[in-house]
Amino acid sequence: MELKVNQDNCLGCGVCVVACPVNVSISPEVAGGHGSKTEEVIMMVENGVIKLFSEEKCTKCGTCQLFCPTDAIWLE
Amino acid sequence: MVSNTKEVRALDFDVERSAEEDRKLSFKDEVCIGCGICEKCGICEKGRRDAIELGDIGAIVRTDADESKICVDENKCVLCGMCSVSCPVDALEFTIDGESIKDMDVYPKLLSSAEIDEDTCIYCKACETACPREAITIARDLPERSQLVTGEIEIDKDTCINCGVCEEMCPADAITMDHKLPTSYDPTVSSDINVDTDKCVYCLVCKKACPVDAIKAVCRSCSYGEYDLNPEDSEIKGSSFIDDELCVRCGWCEEICPVDAAKVKKPFEGELTIDEDKCTTCGACVDICPCDVLSFPQPAEAGQMVDKVFKDEKYCIYCGACENVCPVEAIEVKRTAVDHTPTKSKSWESKMDSLKT
Repeated sequence: MELKVNQDNCLGCGVCVVACPVNVSISPEVAGGHGSKTEEVIMMVENGVIKLFSEEKCTKCGTCQLFCPTDAIWLE
Repeated sequence: MVSNTKEVRALDFDVERSAEEDRKLSFKDEVCIGCGICEKCGICEKGRRDAIELGDIGAIVRTDADESKICVDENKCVLCGMCSVSCPVDALEFTIDGESIKDMDVYPKLLSSAEIDEDTCIYCKACETACPREAITIARDLPERSQLVTGEIEIDKDTCINCGVCEEMCPADAITMDHKLPTSYDPTVSSDINVDTDKCVYCLVCKKACPVDAIKAVCRSCSYGEYDLNPEDSEIKGSSFIDDELCVRCGWCEEICPVDAAKVKKPFEGELTIDEDKCTTCGACVDICPCDVLSFPQPAEAGQMVDKVFKDEKYCIYCGACENVCPVEAIEVKRTAVDHTPTKSKSWESKMDSLKT
């Protein structure tokens, strides 16, 4: 399975960034709704849309997909 | 929340070899709980053969991904049967010449069971409601209401003014009127009023409410006691059924049963620990747990701090599914004892022992 994003669908809400348990453990400040200080995280919102940085860190738990309101991030 | 079950979608598979004996491994995806114990496959001394790979269980259970929970590499599988023996829910069946190795004395077998004692069961359905796998069906025949309370009721139709008060107030819907519009030929608002004595519980509400005292009613139980009621008529009859294929022997039925009719024997003993500091409350473990051991606690009042994840090990079978799925390694599942039937084979004995962690 692979983590996929569709930037056309993305609203840039950042819910996946906050919900992703791996993101939060790499960069705890994102849990509070702040941007990440490091690019080590799996995904971040950049210029208003989601962008994958270190997708190899994804454990395929499916949390981002459960929370994304627009089906812009999913596992396939 | 998501539940750790999938519809049957033809994700099952068979691996087969036939020479002098026919060996066959069959996998049932909808029975599989995604615990990953089968990944410790391989009975041979070299140890793990890595023929079985657990899928991305979090995504498979939580999204509608159409993928099998485990994958078997047919080129690596030697058809030894280890995965079938160690599977706590019998999702993998291994047969030799058509006979399951679970029925062969030479192979060890995990000891687990769930039973409901029909003589003790009062058919309250608590277990059916609680069972996390929906494996329990309770069928019950309730007694006739008319056999539990008796009395007499009579409506004097000449006095009755067809106001409909009794019909509206009757809690058992036992009184019915045939309402109609009056005509000059027949200037009444109802043609008839009737009491269904099978439904009437002789509560006497109608008698008290009737504005013209047209109803005479008496409850015999209140006046004379229950001497004319047959205790056998109030008996609730029923039957219970546990679907062995779906049952994971979690113990919910035993814990929730008010009369101790359910008995569950679990295959493993162990310990489940959650590191609250690492947990990010993503909910993967809550969704994956086949036994509803884990849940998110609700604060009793605003502002109250609660644990991130609540666990009750009473229901845990120590399968390790939560540990595997946790993205941040916040969960540890230890298996300290494995209960299985004895085997003379030392390699099988040591393999069964290796299920401990």
